[in-house]
Amino acid sequence: MSRFDADDDDVVVVVGSGAGGGTLANELCQRGIRTVVLEAGPHLTGKDYHNDEWQAFSQMAWTDPRTTSGSWRLATDFPTLPAWIVKAVGGTTTHWAGATPRFKEHEFRIRSTYSDIDGASLLDWPITLTELEPYYDQAEVKMGSSHLHGRPPLPANNNYKVFANGAERVGYRRYATGPYATNAEPYDDRPATVQDGFNFQGDKGGSKWSTLVAELPKAEKTGKLDLRPDSHAVQILHDTRGRATAVLYTDSEGTLRRQRARVVCVAGNSIETPRLLLLSASALFPAGLGNSSGQVGRNYMRHTTATVWGQYDQPVRMYRGETMAGCIQDESRLDTSRGFAGGYYMQTIALGPAFFASFVAPGTWGPDFTSHMDAYRDTAGMWIVGEDMPQADNRVTLNDGVLDQHGLPVANVHFDDHPNDVAMREHAQRQGQAVYEAVGAKRTIVTPPYPSTHNLGTCRMSERPVDGVVDRHGRAHDVPNLFVSDGSQFTSGAAANPTLTIVALAIRQAEYIAGEYRRQGA
Amino acid sequence: MTLLTDHDTVTLVRLLKMAYPHEAFPDGPYERTAQAVLAAVAGAPRQLAQLIQGLHDLDELREVPFAELDDDTALTVLRGIHEAAFFKNVRGVAVVALYDDHEVWDLLGYEGPSFDKGGYVDRGFNDLDWLPEPKISIEEASA
Ligand SMILES: Cc1cc2nc3c(=O)[nH]c(=O)nc-3n(C[C@H](O)[C@H](O)[C@H](O)COP(=O)(O)OP(=O)(O)OC[C@H]3O[C@@H](n4cnc5c(N)ncnc54)[C@H](O)[C@@H]3O)c2cc1C
Repeated sequence: MSRFDADDDDVVVVVGSGAGGGTLANELCQRGIRTVVLEAGPHLTGKDYHNDEWQAFSQMAWTDPRTTSGSWRLATDFPTLPAWIVKAVGGTTTHWAGATPRFKEHEFRIRSTYSDIDGASLLDWPITLTELEPYYDQAEVKMGSSHLHGRPPLPANNNYKVFANGAERVGYRRYATGPYATNAEPYDDRPATVQDGFNFQGDKGGSKWSTLVAELPKAEKTGKLDLRPDSHAVQILHDTRGRATAVLYTDSEGTLRRQRARVVCVAGNSIETPRLLLLSASALFPAGLGNSSGQVGRNYMRHTTATVWGQYDQPVRMYRGETMAGCIQDESRLDTSRGFAGGYYMQTIALGPAFFASFVAPGTWGPDFTSHMDAYRDTAGMWIVGEDMPQADNRVTLNDGVLDQHGLPVANVHFDDHPNDVAMREHAQRQGQAVYEAVGAKRTIVTPPYPSTHNLGTCRMSERPVDGVVDRHGRAHDVPNLFVSDGSQFTSGAAANPTLTIVALAIRQAEYIAGEYRRQGA
Repeated sequence: MTLLTDHDTVTLVRLLKMAYPHEAFPDGPYERTAQAVLAAVAGAPRQLAQLIQGLHDLDELREVPFAELDDDTALTVLRGIHEAAFFKNVRGVAVVALYDDHEVWDLLGYEGPSFDKGGYVDRGFNDLDWLPEPKISIEEASA
């Protein structure tokens, strides 16, 4: 691993090594740009991981304190755990499942398409699907998305068989085992999946795409990467002209260090990214770095989600095999006659008994609860993921009353469901139940949202600086050498799982930054 | 744990069996879960105090001690106190500890770690045979 000098002011500093940061770093290194990656978490690899839900969670998840407010049910069920995010090299791509649908054309233009929706802060993206398509192609090739670019589909597992047969019987036609970024056969120097079922934990085999196994090792080979684990960015510094100059971070010993930078890119996921900008307030930027619009932290989105389970009088064993290799697309269409704007996907999901017990019906106990558990082996599961409405007051702020281990105010995540979100969730729950009942479920169970795995929108892209935080390349409207490189950039959430789009945007951003280096003569 | 008596532990085990009743489960998982509860409160004086008081209160609610009540009555008693802080604390620990118990995994038909056994690729990831084989790709209508 290369090590660049702390006073070297020609490097790009990337905060976070997940989908956005890890991809961006590799793409910059491939273009010859020296890149320092600051990652708050440790450098764990496959052999460190546990095939065990709670052990893996305690080892990898971001459990630094956070707080919640608002009317969303998570504030009751999991008040200190608004999000399920990883704190380790590779970020949440080490826990992600691998579903990689693209945004649809109209999902970049929700203001124009859905017109005004009361209480929602709808805005069109400053970019179009056509502009992003070449980068989607590159992202899918990079990630080895199944069904596409010559990659074969994954086979049907048990959970999928129930899901797909139910889909067929209720009249759905657009269902498949992907696109899904896990190898059905060896690809990109990584093996085929052994169907071990531990997708949400940390993949011991490396058949699943993550920045840990795919992007960062490639970046390292260029000699241009300086990856610093256990390095928590606490502030971004700037000069009198308002250009970012350096990042302050704590190392594994808790010592504060400074890395100078020519460009700073923030990719800490949509809760930590706005937190870092807010923590970087100064005399010149009193409301937080890059926050003259007041939009930093606002428009937080988390997708409209739910889980539906079907229980049968025959075994399913949903936990065997790839967790999310199953997707029904039919309800992702543009069709406001259903009583809500936006669409949703249905995807297979499986949990072990340990997580199933905690999430199936939070807070409940007694014979009803245990009868759910007794049917564990005979249970099939699906997850709902749909577009939620951006709202100005759904928002990440600093909670000065609660400090983390570094003495920094923690993030508070405030969220109220929009009536559109509620209508979509209820529709999706009914459709999910219908799918399972169509193949003979003797009982269906509807489960409320888990801690958010998709966190989006808190530094959104906008054409005009007053409407958002960053421009069409993810560059801060207020600070010319500051970029946001993760899902915080999303102007809207679409129905699709976000990671493919985060990766596509990161490739595009790297190209842009490299162009700037060339223009300025690096 | 000197502040809690053996009788308290018996009450706690009985409470766990009533809150999470599974006909197929032997005592072992419940006893281990009780130990997990005790370990969790050991470092939390307020929670330990609430547990001591709460278990004591349970014995006072009917003519006979809680551990001697029949199942229906015991369940009714628990429903009556389901908002009590001590009971919430116990459930918070128990729902994790009980279903993380490997004997329980076995009883529920879950097979646990699998990577070291080669995953399920040759061990039944697709052995469900009570439904037809579904298609795995979308056939695009020819454009
Ligand atoms: C169980 C699960 C399943 C999922 N399945 C899917 C799926 O099937 N499809 C899909 O598209 N998405 C899925 N996701 C979501 C996906 O993981 C995220 O969208 C994606 O990883 C987000 O990328 P990111 O770069 O924004 O953040 P992350 O990948 O979370 O990376 C952020 C990194 O920044 C680090 N960091 C934060 N703050 C600082 C700081 N101040 N200093 C230094 N480092 C910092 C963090 O430690 C972390 O490593 C899933 C997520 C989970 C939890």
